[in-house]
Amino acid sequence: MTSDRRQDRSTHVIPLLGALAIASAVTLCGCVQRPVEPKWANFGGDPARGAVLIGRASCGACHEMSGIEGANGQVGPPLGTFAHRTMIAGVLPNTPGNLVYWLRHPQAVVPGNAMPDVGLSDAQARDIAAYLYAER
Amino acid sequence: MVSGLWRAIEGFLTSPRLLLLWFAGVLSGLLAMGLGAIVVIEGGLFNATASTPHSPVVALAAHTAFIRSVQVRAKGVKAPTAPFTAAQVAAGFRDYDASCAACHGGPGIPRADWAGGMTPTPPYLEDAARRWRPEELYWIVGQGVKMTAMPAWGETRSDAELWNLVAFLKALPDITTTDYLRMRTAAGRPRALNAPPASGALGGARPAPPPLPETGG
Repeated sequence: MTSDRRQDRSTHVIPLLGALAIASAVTLCGCVQRPVEPKWANFGGDPARGAVLIGRASCGACHEMSGIEGANGQVGPPLGTFAHRTMIAGVLPNTPGNLVYWLRHPQAVVPGNAMPDVGLSDAQARDIAAYLYAER
Repeated sequence: MVSGLWRAIEGFLTSPRLLLLWFAGVLSGLLAMGLGAIVVIEGGLFNATASTPHSPVVALAAHTAFIRSVQVRAKGVKAPTAPFTAAQVAAGFRDYDASCAACHGGPGIPRADWAGGMTPTPPYLEDAARRWRPEELYWIVGQGVKMTAMPAWGETRSDAELWNLVAFLKALPDITTTDYLRMRTAAGRPRALNAPPASGALGGARPAPPPLPETGG
């Protein structure tokens, strides 16, 4: 009985170790592939003010975001890892300037898309952009 | 082990001294809570302004309480068995655009500028049909939501009119910005309702003619 159990355990250890190694490798890769800082360093905008504005503008009704209460909408793309996104709305390269432009004029970038022009000022759009780039 | 626990409980229940102590503890606990509530209320410690967001704990508690309240209370609602008709959706749209869009916006349609000044802020409803069953939507629209500025539309709308609104909300995920504007034209309603006003929807200045976006890097 006991020897059976011991054998069982040893056969389970190897795949378990393998899975652990793969998982940690994946996690490590994830850490290494994060060239986020330079993109929005010295860009201006305050992530904390951005979080308040995101709440006020009801962004979470359509977008899933981390750190915003109730932000679990599934109308638009999730924004939890926005800093790693390549394109904005599929048409603009993801640069800080383009993000501010998109946040202020989504209907000018993709006419008829479901994201409204909510009338953000440049400073407000910068704060929201700062929050989106700061999310991990 | 179990019998030991029983003995401890029995000892507690049969000792007048311990029971008295326990009651005294409960009573002083309740008193402390009551005093705390009076201090918070009378002392003006709760910040009732809409200009400050709820603390995350209060927001989570209030939001969850609202969701559960609707889920439990809408259980008794009987939805019409027949599928919603296009006429119901159109009628629901007219009511929605006139009475709801100012706070809730639409696909590609911003809310009125002042909606951003509300706490909690009224959500866009593009995926309300995914979040709620028709019976729950009927309940929310008809009964309203306390402390959110959502009125009980059942006070001024007939049952049929409430179901028209539910029909529209159910159809909303399939309605594009272009569709919505077309419906506005068909209903003889102003096309540019809730366009960002001069002040900007969130208090910002109206954007100047947009500059060309960056193309790379």
